[in-house]
Amino acid sequence: MSLKFKVPIFDVKNLNFSVRGQNILSNISLEIFNGEYVAIIGPNGGGKTTLIRMLLGLDAPTDGSIKLYGKKIKNFKEWHKIGYVPQRASLVDVNFPATVEDIVKMGRVSKLGFFKGMSQEDKNAVKDAMVKMDVVNLKDKMVGTLSGGQRQRVMIARALASNPEILILDEPNTGVDMVSQKNFYALLGKLNREENITIVFITHDIGVIADDIGRLFTINQKATICNNPKETLSCEDMSELYGIEAHLIHNHRHEH
Amino acid sequence: MMLEMFEYEFMQRAFIAGILIATLASISGTFIVLKRYSLMSETLAHSALVGVAVGLVAGYNPLWMAVIVAIISAWIIEYLRTSFSLYSDAILSILLSGSLAIAIIIVSLGGAFNNSLFSYLFGSILSVSSEDVVTISIFGSVALALLIAFSRELYFIAYDEEVAKTSGIRVKFLNFLLVTVVAIIIALSIRVVGSLLIGALMVIPTVAALQYRVGFLNTVLISLFIALFSVVAGMTLSFYFSLPSGATIVLCVISIFIISLVVNKK
Repeated sequence: MSLKFKVPIFDVKNLNFSVRGQNILSNISLEIFNGEYVAIIGPNGGGKTTLIRMLLGLDAPTDGSIKLYGKKIKNFKEWHKIGYVPQRASLVDVNFPATVEDIVKMGRVSKLGFFKGMSQEDKNAVKDAMVKMDVVNLKDKMVGTLSGGQRQRVMIARALASNPEILILDEPNTGVDMVSQKNFYALLGKLNREENITIVFITHDIGVIADDIGRLFTINQKATICNNPKETLSCEDMSELYGIEAHLIHNHRHEH
Repeated sequence: MMLEMFEYEFMQRAFIAGILIATLASISGTFIVLKRYSLMSETLAHSALVGVAVGLVAGYNPLWMAVIVAIISAWIIEYLRTSFSLYSDAILSILLSGSLAIAIIIVSLGGAFNNSLFSYLFGSILSVSSEDVVTISIFGSVALALLIAFSRELYFIAYDEEVAKTSGIRVKFLNFLLVTVVAIIIALSIRVVGSLLIGALMVIPTVAALQYRVGFLNTVLISLFIALFSVVAGMTLSFYFSLPSGATIVLCVISIFIISLVVNKK
């Protein structure tokens, strides 16, 4: 695929991460460019979430370097450009006192000044995000009363409210039924194509890989990068990655 | 009949202090409860007691000393929580009993085991001085201003600390700020509610308000209303039945909590 900009959004070089002497990630190097749609797959415990946490500055690598928009992560300040939807988004505290609108508004918080209310621009951004994710009709509902699929859309609306250039989603389909999953991937594809939002999403479920994906990273301690996943990803690759028989993939099952 | 109590100056002072404290405790309490820090209010109240003990024995203003010691204790808790892999409830439990032990030793050695200490344990409307009202007003205004200024950030952090961090919010700084503000509020409250009972005024109004399952702003407002009502009713009962104000306030707030539970039962 053509890469539109020379400076990648994420530039990861020789990244290592170990905990108490045990290697979680070894020698990972990868780049993610503006406008890309990247899926990161790999078995549970393979280090996918760890990698994402390091990209977001939540964990520090044991060694190696991470640059965001060409800047070292500790010098990076423009976090509003990055929208993050964590894995546990589907497991929110059902008692938390928040309406859907309260949650989406959180997406604007880091842009607001002290003692200042939301400007018209902020309100518009919140509304636009709710429209894009089709949650406007839920805006006064308590977040604890939503279904898994609705909750997922609200979490993404919150991330979109800051007008991010990149969306990072960790296991976005945990607790979401199959029909919602399909609509969900259609929506992600649309955001990528129509809004030019770079999409990076993690899944351990090979069966859900969407048609829109540009590149695929497989992470199981080490990284393998497939630049053209539909053609190059073979059953052998999958068997090696997951350590299981590859025919399971065709059945859309995951028994690891 | 009701207004008779306002003829006494000490009751006027107690009501001003009580209303300020109810406001501060309930608003800060919302963040504390949502962050699962409820036990922290208990621990800080016991730490504040060390300050009271030092103040009583050494002859300094106990309220000022309570504020200082509670802030130091809050910082120690936050430092331990973020820098070591310790369970946060275990840290709170250790500091709670440790502070109480130190406070008791100080008052025992200093010979200050008397009614004055009793009023700091259980609260006393008789003991609120004009100086206390001034101290509570000054510190309370600063604490309230900080809470309002950072309310959106604190709410976001309470909801999801990591996502807040990745969206560029200074989570570490704001967590320290919150515990500092809470430490100040707790230290100020022990005059009226008492150090053994302030935790209840901080936590219960919010837990009761959460039963109504409404959005954030409405939860804060319900919590504020419950706290104000409980303090006013509790102090009135304290006046007419000569009971420690902390105890009557806490019983009022627990009654409202039970009503809220029953009314909202699914």
